Amino acid sequence: MVSGTCGSGKTTLAMEFLVRGALSGEACAHFTATEPSVKLLENIRQFAFFNMNMIDDGLINVFDMDVLYSWLGLDKATFDLDDVHALIKAIVDIVNTIGVTRLVVDSVTTLCYKIKSEQLIRDFLFTLGKKLSTLGCTTLLISEITSASENAHWSSFGVEEAIADGIIVMGDVERMGHLLRFLQVVKMRGTAHSRAKHSIELTPLGVMLTPMLKWGAMSDKQSRWGS
Amino acid sequence: MFELDQRIAEQLTSVTLNSSVQVRCGNSNAFMVTASTIVPLMQMFEMSGVYICASRSATEIIEAFETIGIDVSHIHFLDLVSSGILGGTDSAHPNVSFIDSPIMLESILLRSLYALRISAHDRNFVILDSVNALAIYNEEKMLAEYLHSFINVFRKREVLTVILNVPDQVPPSVLANLDLYCTDLIDRGQVVIH
Repeated sequence: MVSGTCGSGKTTLAMEFLVRGALSGEACAHFTATEPSVKLLENIRQFAFFNMNMIDDGLINVFDMDVLYSWLGLDKATFDLDDVHALIKAIVDIVNTIGVTRLVVDSVTTLCYKIKSEQLIRDFLFTLGKKLSTLGCTTLLISEITSASENAHWSSFGVEEAIADGIIVMGDVERMGHLLRFLQVVKMRGTAHSRAKHSIELTPLGVMLTPMLKWGAMSDKQSRWGS
Repeated sequence: MFELDQRIAEQLTSVTLNSSVQVRCGNSNAFMVTASTIVPLMQMFEMSGVYICASRSATEIIEAFETIGIDVSHIHFLDLVSSGILGGTDSAHPNVSFIDSPIMLESILLRSLYALRISAHDRNFVILDSVNALAIYNEEKMLAEYLHSFINVFRKREVLTVILNVPDQVPPSVLANLDLYCTDLIDRGQVVIH
């Protein structure tokens, strides 16, 4: 799960994850509910290591969630249990058919807003995650949060974080009126990793990061939206 | 006729790519010392690299070099000054990029690393001009921590670091740390009593 505030670089990180996969010959898919696929494909060109063959050869596949909902007849405000199962089946079928090994759902927050019960959200994410992992697919679930400060939840609904194998938090630290993007790996099952805040820059070579200065990580005593 | 300090070039013959050189200058000789450092690096040692402009805008520094006949078109300039000036980020030079503020220390490091990664040269330097300018905006402990990290990051990558400062205007703890971390000292500064 990649959780972050707006403008923190979640989608860029996810796109790099896909393009890096395509670069090594993996089939990748991006389900977008936050911006049109055309716009997303425009943004993907920013990477110096991207080339159009990745799309022409079917290595990068972008799906608009709205289109998927229409296919499934899910043009409704809220989803019930059957709808959720239909959605999981559709995503798993696409992953299976294309042989996707890297998947991004952007964002799981937008998608889960249609699911009214917390239990159903938990079931949806747990079942989706389980089915995709058995297919050998690594999934990034993008989660939108309004605060990445110390006391904030790492996900919108509070259930996503318990299900995910890994949690990456992205946000901003405000330092004397300037916003510095940060990335922090809170959890990554089965991996020894740093849990420190890292400052990031979004470049054509991808997301570059360096440990955030210890004397500057919380210099304003709070992150972007307060403690 | 602009005259370079040839003793600086002689001193630079003893540094290696993973050295970090502290260059002390005074208020009146800052540009002469900077030019006397950068010219041998480019011309004698055929190096390229990144110039971090925290004291003056990149355009001003480029023009100063051009005035004395030094071509710096293959050096990438990171300008930390111009974004703080209204309309200051207009530049006719393609080798300049801008960072919002000298407070964004980690961004300076990452953008320098990015510029080096896209550089076509094998032998590179990073010049920080200057510690004094960074000290205006950054708290003493944070600046000392940053310089420690900055020097080690580039040393590990075999990129020569050159750190300019006017010593009697640098916080004592920062200066003490520079003395500790830097491998070489070129001292053209004013007399300082610690």
